[in-house]
Amino acid sequence: MIRDITIGQYYARGSVVHGLDPRTKLMGVLIYIIVLFLVKNPWWYLACLAVILVLYHAARVPLPYLLKGLRGIVILLMFTFFFRLISTPGVEVAHFWIFTITKEGVVKAVSLTSRIALMITGASLLSYTSTPRELADGLEKAFSFLEKIHVPVHDMAVIVMIAFRFIPIMIEEMNALMDAQAARGVEFEKCSVFKKCKNVFSLLVPLFLSTVRRASDLAMAMEARGYTGDRQTSRMYPLIYKSNDRIAYAMMGIWLTAGIGIRVFL
Amino acid sequence: MMKVEHLRFTYGKGTVNECKVLDDISFEIREGEFIGLIGSSGSGKTTLIKHLNGLLKAESGTVWFQGQNIYDKKYVLSNLRKEVGLVFQYPEHQLFGRTVLSDTCFGPLNLGMTKEEAEESAKDCLELVGIDEAYYYASPFDLSGGQKRCVAIAGVLAMKPKILVMDEPAAGLDPETKHMVFDLVEKIRRERNIAIVLVSHHMEDVANYADKVLVLHEGRLALSGTPREIFSQTHFLREIGIGVPQITTATERLIQAGIGLGHPAVTIDEAEDIILQAFSIRRGGSV
Repeated sequence: MIRDITIGQYYARGSVVHGLDPRTKLMGVLIYIIVLFLVKNPWWYLACLAVILVLYHAARVPLPYLLKGLRGIVILLMFTFFFRLISTPGVEVAHFWIFTITKEGVVKAVSLTSRIALMITGASLLSYTSTPRELADGLEKAFSFLEKIHVPVHDMAVIVMIAFRFIPIMIEEMNALMDAQAARGVEFEKCSVFKKCKNVFSLLVPLFLSTVRRASDLAMAMEARGYTGDRQTSRMYPLIYKSNDRIAYAMMGIWLTAGIGIRVFL
Repeated sequence: MMKVEHLRFTYGKGTVNECKVLDDISFEIREGEFIGLIGSSGSGKTTLIKHLNGLLKAESGTVWFQGQNIYDKKYVLSNLRKEVGLVFQYPEHQLFGRTVLSDTCFGPLNLGMTKEEAEESAKDCLELVGIDEAYYYASPFDLSGGQKRCVAIAGVLAMKPKILVMDEPAAGLDPETKHMVFDLVEKIRRERNIAIVLVSHHMEDVANYADKVLVLHEGRLALSGTPREIFSQTHFLREIGIGVPQITTATERLIQAGIGLGHPAVTIDEAEDIILQAFSIRRGGSV
């Protein structure tokens, strides 16, 4: 139902992984994905799976959540598997109707599907363990070197942050509007699709209006407090690397070297 | 007409942030009655009124409307929505129609009135809330804040409810518009003989208009009775953070200062009467 919107899938827990600096986690995901693409032999994906399981355990995110992340792309995975399976040339193992399955096809299908699945589970772990605000902060800091070549990283980060900030407010407003219109006899559930679309208008128009109004109020308030965006602002939650981050970076270094080593020597 | 019995409600049942909002609430609304519902922030007022037209379903307890249980499986909730009009806080935010008239017709049309009936009802109600005919085809967004609120109230009234529930109808309005809204509420009640439930933080408003006052405190019905009965419990009301009308405090102080007023007043008119009375007695005595 429209009422149960969740954006971001933060899973609140106080774990080692949750406590890491968002930049460390972003870098971790990046390196993890690079390694996934470096290794050729699908058996190495088992090692990646082991790493992911250990990380989920360390983050104290229950395992069903690992599969939850995959649910959204299940069709994509099936397609990938199927088409890789039937469209790779090589030694034939089975043949029926117009489809030919080859040995290479099986290997390719399995490795590509597991690569995508592993990639998604890794990225979901990032969103389970960091709030959108942390991610925006981390991204801003990580890309702040671009300020030197006049890319407005800070402004973009502020825009993203404000957008995130508005989501819960809009959801709340939406709920209030749904109640108000339901009190005026609007049905949102038990009616035809056409009627539903028409009824949604009674929510969208006021919601849109109040969002525009709120945005202009906010702009005014920021200006009134002297915000211009060109001065360095201090942070409520400064990002500082701690010893755990250093350990994490060391582990990532080892993992990346291992990945390159496997690629070059095996 | 409506009877609420042992209503209980908990938000987020079974989750970490479970929160008991309503606990064993019972009261009755009679035809044409003006009920004031007061309580400090977070006492469950808004949650309670959402039960009155079935927007929320109670965990236990029942709501009877015209002798029927609204939680009965066969009961059609849209009937209830028609009979119990709910005006939420800042109702002007729910306007969306292209014209004032079409927005006011929205509710009646949803409830199955024909276009002619809806328009007739909408025009009646707009006239009642004092919106001039010249505005019928204007966009509701071009009106002033007070006018918008009146249009929103008309939008609910046009459904011809038997009970009109209003959540802080005067919040954020200037004193004059506020007065207008309250006079309007009183007028609606007199002309249509519908029951009014008024949720408010403002003791003065409740004292001036209500026949019966319900006091909610932490999800429980702490007090109920006539304004005089309720506001004589000044000590208790202050304790639970609601307070009493200013005039009650003022007359109470006069009594403490030794001026024989008899009892604290609840409304300004009453205060005027008893003060004049007290002085005329004294003057009579001194001559």
